[in-house]
Amino acid sequence: MEVQELNELSPLRAFDKSLHGGLGKGNLGVLVSRHGVGKTACLVHLATDKLFRNQHIIHVSFSGNVDHVISWYKEVFRQISENRDLEDATHIYNEILANRVVMNFSQENVSVEKVLSSLETLIRQGSFNADAVMFDGYHLTTASEEDVRKIKEFAMNMRLEVWFSVSPVKMDVTYDEYGVPETMLKYEELIDVLIGLKYSEDMDKVVMTLVKDGDDITPHPMQVNLDPKTMLIVN
Amino acid sequence: MADISKMRNIGISAHIDSGKTTLSERILFYANRIHAIHEVRGKDGVGATMDSMELEKERGITIASAATNVTWKEHPINVIDTPGHVDFTIEVERSLRVLDGAVLVLCSVAGVQSQSITVDRQMKRYNVPRIAFVNKCDRTGANPYRVKNQLIEKLGLNAVLIQIPIGLEDKLQGVVDLITMKAVYFDGESGEKLRYEEIPATLQAEAEEKREEMLDAISMFSDELMEAMLEDAVTEDLIHEALRKGTIALELVPVMMGSAYKNKGIQPLLDAIITYLPNPTQVTNTALDLDNEETPVKLVADDGAKPVILGFKLEDGQYGQLTYIRIYQGRVKKGDELMNTRTQKKFKIGRLVKMHASSMEDINEVGAGDIAALFGIDCASGDTFCHPSLNYSMTSMFVPNPVISLAVNPVDKKAADNMAKALNRFTKEDPTFRTYVDPESNQTIIQGMGELHLEVYIERMRREYKAEVLTDKPEVAYREAISQRADFNYTHKKQTGGSGQYARVAGYIEPIPEGEDAPNYEFIDSIKGGVIPTEYIPSCDKGFQAALKKGTQLGFPIVGVRAAINDGAYHPVDSSDQAFQTAALQAFRETYEKAKPVILEPIMKVSVEGPTEFQGNIFGSINQRRGIIISSTEDGANCAVDAEVPLSEMFGYSTVLRSLTQGKAEYTMELAKYSKVPQSVSEELKKAYQEKKKELSK
Repeated sequence: MEVQELNELSPLRAFDKSLHGGLGKGNLGVLVSRHGVGKTACLVHLATDKLFRNQHIIHVSFSGNVDHVISWYKEVFRQISENRDLEDATHIYNEILANRVVMNFSQENVSVEKVLSSLETLIRQGSFNADAVMFDGYHLTTASEEDVRKIKEFAMNMRLEVWFSVSPVKMDVTYDEYGVPETMLKYEELIDVLIGLKYSEDMDKVVMTLVKDGDDITPHPMQVNLDPKTMLIVN
Repeated sequence: MADISKMRNIGISAHIDSGKTTLSERILFYANRIHAIHEVRGKDGVGATMDSMELEKERGITIASAATNVTWKEHPINVIDTPGHVDFTIEVERSLRVLDGAVLVLCSVAGVQSQSITVDRQMKRYNVPRIAFVNKCDRTGANPYRVKNQLIEKLGLNAVLIQIPIGLEDKLQGVVDLITMKAVYFDGESGEKLRYEEIPATLQAEAEEKREEMLDAISMFSDELMEAMLEDAVTEDLIHEALRKGTIALELVPVMMGSAYKNKGIQPLLDAIITYLPNPTQVTNTALDLDNEETPVKLVADDGAKPVILGFKLEDGQYGQLTYIRIYQGRVKKGDELMNTRTQKKFKIGRLVKMHASSMEDINEVGAGDIAALFGIDCASGDTFCHPSLNYSMTSMFVPNPVISLAVNPVDKKAADNMAKALNRFTKEDPTFRTYVDPESNQTIIQGMGELHLEVYIERMRREYKAEVLTDKPEVAYREAISQRADFNYTHKKQTGGSGQYARVAGYIEPIPEGEDAPNYEFIDSIKGGVIPTEYIPSCDKGFQAALKKGTQLGFPIVGVRAAINDGAYHPVDSSDQAFQTAALQAFRETYEKAKPVILEPIMKVSVEGPTEFQGNIFGSINQRRGIIISSTEDGANCAVDAEVPLSEMFGYSTVLRSLTQGKAEYTMELAKYSKVPQSVSEELKKAYQEKKKELSK
């Protein structure tokens, strides 16, 4: 299979359709769940889909180990390319990787200003024409409203689509039926798209619910969910 | 006779400027081998003893590894000082080959840097157990705890603190030993007097907490220790034993600390070397039996066995060539006969010496597990010497192909003679350094692993061999490849007078898809019905291989080609091995253009480290060099950027980087892969190649 066909058949098209065409630049999207449901894989799948469509991605992580993130990309790419029997996969992988930068912040409690200023440095001085920024494991639930507002402004000024994968920092939070923790709700108005991930034993799938989509705050089930084995988005 | 269980062969590996040479110097000092301590860039003009080459003294770095024997508490220790710069990694790798254990030196301020990662990867490859020493704890910004966490996060090591510092930065006084639970201070002019005291009250709680952490981490290596912990009957010996087991099994790295420059923490490190690192009998070494299809043979570090010896390092001494050897098994003495299994030549051991950086001591014999040096043996680095009845070779060492070449032109006849001598020596010493005479330009070409690698050898030619040379611009080792399948059907015919030549080959060539283990060349024989007789099939294979040696676009080797033959013809009289070789060669050359050839260039994995304030300049400098930023890691005030950059764009980068970052950033690089050159660059390269060819033919 060739890349174009792979993109057309991707379950991410149904994902975008659920969002009425995708998140869009200048907007903030959030994937939220308990720990260990597969948010990172899901975020990397979203990113890989963008890379396949020639977009430029910055993946922001807060762990000490960049290799970990890079192996996620490798694994997600391997699964997609094997499922679809992609032609000349190694070559395509090397090509799309040129459009991805992993930015890692390993010190604790790095400020939002610092992160945004490094992103701006990379985009401007590194001439990296980013289309989207993926915040992997950002402590959004304990960030101040001011911080979230700054990220939103940055996304608008730099014309970026911004995705977060979020798990609550505190252990004793309660989750609603869609897997969204209560601590998340205070930013609801600053966030454009909020997707809750929750494992359903009956379906043996991680169910994705569109909890908020722009002004629409009635939860809708999405046309896609997560395969708990591969952690990839499936129809 | 030395007790082999007391012997240690250790290396000191580290990032450049983490104070490795100073540390080696202190180790020699405390083991009473030298009488005064010289700083690396000493004011006394003497320089540290381990840096034996003048050039190294000037640059303040260690290029060649010198093996030095010291004795600590009746344990003979061979210390091998290894170079810290990535351009000389073959030296590091060769040293690691002969080591049984190592000290990984880290700077307490800079922590785990890109070079530490490279060195650690090499240690893993050669299964070298290690102790980490966090040096420079007296520096502003020192934080050994952070370094320990980096060892865990960045290197994936099970790093366990066995000491904590008493004070840090300019208040560094000593260390708390978490095993004895004593404070250790280093008194006297050079820290030679150890004073043990109670742990300062302010550190008691922390010391207890860290001791608990240590015990938890090491208890899994010793059931006895675990039981003792439950019964609250932990002894020092039990802790030592668990640490030793974990370290030798490569599952644990004890972390120690101090300041070599301030003479703090060295003696405990020496104690740890003899306590936790293995003796030669505790390490498995294998050789390949050349008489038995290179079957691996386990060697025993026993004096009674037949000798098997590796020559791991050559040096030009005052009295001729000095060969550093490691005796893997057996015992040898002056006058014994050995065989070099590469050349299959026998020789007698003349002078046998033990080395101390730049002085030496004559010895009569040397036993299993030890390191010594031989005089006047004609050999190359990496040769194996055996008892004449054995035909073993130590496992071949991993030798990467050179990525850069440079034409060198001696200024006069005398310089030419000296240059020849120098090159002969360097190629023997360093397998990654190669040289040949280009038949077209008649120039001498040297090849190596990077710009600095070649620069150092040119400097050495000037200084040590008085060979003045002029150099051209360095050239990148490009490769050629094909991008699509093309069929061929070629007849080679020469039947006019005398014995004729006839061969016809038909088939196709196609690119082998990219991949990690993709071979450079593959030959497929699909001939049916004997249209090409079986004895000429290898001739076709040879013909293709000859064609691949030099492509027509830039004159570089062609890689990633699958050549298949499926038809052909022969003549009962006029066909020959040579005729089929020629036919295959010509068939390939004729088809090459049809297969849309492309040029590949070496892409280097470049790691730049420096203060975060210069991050923008670093990004910019990579971007300007057709580089791709892979990742960027920020850790407080420091950032590390990993990128992939074509080698051809990296010339002079060290100067540029220095000026962009006020000299505060540094970089390392190694070959990542070969990739297709962009169209515009490829046109320029071809044009330059054609012009050069035209000039040469004038």
